[in-house]
Amino acid sequence: MAGVSLRSIIKRYGALQVVHGIDLEVAEQEFVVLVGPSGCGKSTTLRMIAGLEDISEGELSIDGRFMNRVAPKDRDVAMVFQNYALYPHLNVADNMAFGLRIRRMPKDQIATTISETAEILGLTDYLDRRPADLSGGQRQRVAMGRAIVRHPKVFLFDEPLSNLDAKLRTQMRAEIKRLHNRLGVTSIYVTHDQVEAMTLADRIVVMNDGRIEQVGTPMELFNNPVNTFVAGFLGSPPMNQVKGVLTETGARIGGMDVSLNGAINGHAGRDVIVGIRPEHVMLEPGDATSSLPIELDLVEPLGSEALLHARFGQDNMVFKADTNGEIAHLSGVKQVHVPADLIKLFDAETGRALELGA
Amino acid sequence: MVDQTSSPPKVRTDEALKTDRLTRTLDHFRREWQIYAMLLPTIIWFVVFLYKPMYGLQIAFKDYSIFRGVQGSPWIGLEHFQTLFANDSFIRAVRNTITISFYNLLFGFPAPIILALMFNEILHATYKRTAQTIVYLPHFISSVIIAGIVITAFSPTVGVINTVLGWLGMDSIYFLTQPEWFRPIFVGTGIWQEAGFGSIVFLAAIAGVNPSLYESAVVDGANRWQMMWKITIPSILPTILIMLIIRIGNVMEVSFELVILLYQPATYETADVVNTWVYRQGLQSGQYDLAAAAGLFNAVVAFVLVMTANTLSRRFSRTSLW
Repeated sequence: MAGVSLRSIIKRYGALQVVHGIDLEVAEQEFVVLVGPSGCGKSTTLRMIAGLEDISEGELSIDGRFMNRVAPKDRDVAMVFQNYALYPHLNVADNMAFGLRIRRMPKDQIATTISETAEILGLTDYLDRRPADLSGGQRQRVAMGRAIVRHPKVFLFDEPLSNLDAKLRTQMRAEIKRLHNRLGVTSIYVTHDQVEAMTLADRIVVMNDGRIEQVGTPMELFNNPVNTFVAGFLGSPPMNQVKGVLTETGARIGGMDVSLNGAINGHAGRDVIVGIRPEHVMLEPGDATSSLPIELDLVEPLGSEALLHARFGQDNMVFKADTNGEIAHLSGVKQVHVPADLIKLFDAETGRALELGA
Repeated sequence: MVDQTSSPPKVRTDEALKTDRLTRTLDHFRREWQIYAMLLPTIIWFVVFLYKPMYGLQIAFKDYSIFRGVQGSPWIGLEHFQTLFANDSFIRAVRNTITISFYNLLFGFPAPIILALMFNEILHATYKRTAQTIVYLPHFISSVIIAGIVITAFSPTVGVINTVLGWLGMDSIYFLTQPEWFRPIFVGTGIWQEAGFGSIVFLAAIAGVNPSLYESAVVDGANRWQMMWKITIPSILPTILIMLIIRIGNVMEVSFELVILLYQPATYETADVVNTWVYRQGLQSGQYDLAAAAGLFNAVVAFVLVMTANTLSRRFSRTSLW
């Protein structure tokens, strides 16, 4: 096992800079997920770690060893690709053995390793099949098997589940998590799916436009996003963000006053963005300073809960409510309540999170 | 007692099914007529130049006379075929055709594949483009000029080859008048003329290989040589097989123009192929019926070969033309 260290990593393609100085320490056995929208530089960063892209500036170390100019094969990393990257002309066993044969591992040792790994991944019955004869989930397992048999120091996953349907993705996500718990190999996982990031990661790295926005555990990022980007990226549906103004006692949004936890300390009159998580809204009126009148215009039932699309002043908001399947009464204007301690504030100009005084 | 109120049986009659199919087909044509309109010139070309001439094939079984015409000439069965197989020069032409085709297949077929693999390994873009242009060029030169270049290059007096032999203290060789030299020169010329252009198909196939296969192999520790053998070649194998089947179908079609331009009576022994034999018998000696029989024999052999190659390829590699 090994830690991975990125210091001021920059990537340029000619004059175009796409990664602007990434600093990240991945601890031994840690599962770190790089998440962000398309084009944010997460895959490029992963490919630089793998050695598939040159590092323009900065330092990369794996297990304390400087890696910038080390060939991919000598970095002792294994990568799982988005489209599986299985050799179509080889069967499952040969696909898994490919890297071992290249490294001239003795045949009997290869056979033992393949057999053990196939057992772990439930591929024993498919070893003679070619990739074309496998389902998407089985192909992805073979791709992971090919990485596992190498016993690398670091696993790199480049959006490995994005070609799978929703059900299979959930299943494979759990398998990856179990596998990591079992093998304990340092893993860096790239995805644009925040659910994958939240469920898999020990720590999440949210990236945007070639920069790291925030690093932390899933719940740290969910509960305390450092800016509106992170707040809007994590959570499903994302955090509602409503323009408002700080008052002496709280914030004024959509013509209504809401109370806030903490002292305004002379910030009254400051333009802010008020962040409310959809699941933090309660379908019941609170006291006079925390009730908000909303006008429901669409209800999306999800079984025991429902997504409520509503108008609040000039803004659209989405809430999540436990309805137990009863949605008939959900229409028209309703009073909802948002606990003051769950409301987030961001500076309207910079988007940075604001902390109110004690 | 029959129930008069029961609904008609749900099983549809053959007639109804036929009408349904016809309606669907007509609907399809009405909807997609533009596509069929675009296909029309090709169909017309095939009918006019490939199917209509088949009508004339019947003269292979007739005692054909241009005065009596195709219809008026009497049937004589397989007499022309018996004549052909009793004719030593035709047997020699068949043997030469097969031998030259075999050499073409052995040396000429792998050449564009090797060239494509080499181009794929060139990383410098300008060098790669220049090299490709240079090897594509001979394809666009007329066979007459190609033959002229070959004749000049192998000339015993001014030819570059004999000049070099002279520098090495060797006697001049009259390459193009010696039967043993015809096949190497002919096959070599064909490779020089067509290998570059033929490599385009394989380069396109290589371009279609999923780049992450190479990236995955790089992470696994494969070098370029291993990637070529273990990824590139297996990945383009279906294209290689398809091209091989097509090539086998053309085994009896040795480049007629180039043979005519390079051979002479002194080299007939190794150079005369079925097509040139047909040309001499049919057009020069006026034996159209005998030439038609030889042409038909050629076509039947090619058909059998291509069918066999296709079946074998489908059976062993899951790749086939149809």
